[in-house]
Amino acid sequence: MKTIITIICYFLFLTASISQERYLTKSGTINFYSKSQIEDITADNNQVLSIVDATSGKMAISILIKSFMFKKALMQEHFNENYLESDRFPKATFQGNILNFDTLKDTAIKLKVKGVLTIHDISKEKTIEANFTRTKEAILVEGNFMVILEEFNVEIPAVVAKNIAKQIKVTFNFNHTPYKK
Amino acid sequence: MNFKKISIAILILGSIAAIVAYNIYNKPHVNVSEVSVDIAITAVKIFNDFTADENAANHTYLEKITEVTGVISNIKIEKEKGIVALQTNDDFGNVLAHLSVDATKEISALKEGQTITLKGICTGYLMDVILVKCEIIN
Repeated sequence: MKTIITIICYFLFLTASISQERYLTKSGTINFYSKSQIEDITADNNQVLSIVDATSGKMAISILIKSFMFKKALMQEHFNENYLESDRFPKATFQGNILNFDTLKDTAIKLKVKGVLTIHDISKEKTIEANFTRTKEAILVEGNFMVILEEFNVEIPAVVAKNIAKQIKVTFNFNHTPYKK
Repeated sequence: MNFKKISIAILILGSIAAIVAYNIYNKPHVNVSEVSVDIAITAVKIFNDFTADENAANHTYLEKITEVTGVISNIKIEKEKGIVALQTNDDFGNVLAHLSVDATKEISALKEGQTITLKGICTGYLMDVILVKCEIIN
C-alpha cells in the first residue's frame, strides 16, 4: 500500500518541479462485464483515480475495489469478501508508459500502454491498447481489455463457476483535466 | 396415503427453500438514508486518519455508514451524479462525497464555503477519502 502512495506522490510532487503538465481525473469510470450461460454480471466504479504525465508519457491508475457497484447486493458481497478479498487488498493499480506518447495530437489515435497491472495483490505485465484524444483542456483515454481471473489468483467456487466468466471484460473511460492545486 | 403426505411435505419444504434462496439472491442494497450511522466524524479527522495510517483507517472505516461534517470546497456534477468535495488540512486531498441520485437533485441548494453533514459509505482512500451513495443530512 505504501508503494502505491509513494508512486502517486512521485507523480504529483517530483514531476511538479520539472513540469506542470500533469493531467488527472478523480472520477474515471471502470466497468466490468462477465458473460456466462446462466447470467451476465456487470459492475461500475465511478471513483477511479488516473494520472497522466504529459511530459514523460507515464500513466498511473488507482482503483478502490469496494467502489464497484453491482445491481445485486449479494454479488457485491461475494465479489468483495470471497473473490477479490477487498478487506485485505482494497486497491487495484496500473502503472505504465504510454508508448509513442509524443505522436498524440488533437485527433483520436490508438496507443499502447505498457505497464504493470496489480489486482488481488498479484502483479502482471500488461500492454493495453486504448483510444487517446488530446484537446486543449483534456486528455481522454478509453478502451477495454480482458482480465483472466486465474492469472490474479481469483478463485471461483465450483458451485457458481458456471455463473461467472473465466475472462472478464474491463472497459475504462478517463477524462483527464490539467491538474491545478 | 403415506406417499401423498411425503410428497406434500417435500413440496412445502422445497417451496420454502426456493423462497429463502430467492430472497437471499435478491437481497437489497443497504439503504443509506434509513440505516443508522456507524461513525460520525469531521472531514479533517477522517482524512488525517487515512494519511496517518491507511491500513488502520481501512479497518476502521471501510464499508461503514459514515457521517462526515466539513466545509464544502467544490461542487460538481459528472455523469448526472453530484460530487461534493470537503476541505481538509491537506492542500491536495479532500473528502470526496459522491451523492446518490436523490441527493443530486438537491445539489443546487449547496454553496461552496458552507458547512455540511453528509452520510455515505466509505470505500477507501486514493488521493482523497472516498464516500459513495451519500445523502445530505444537514
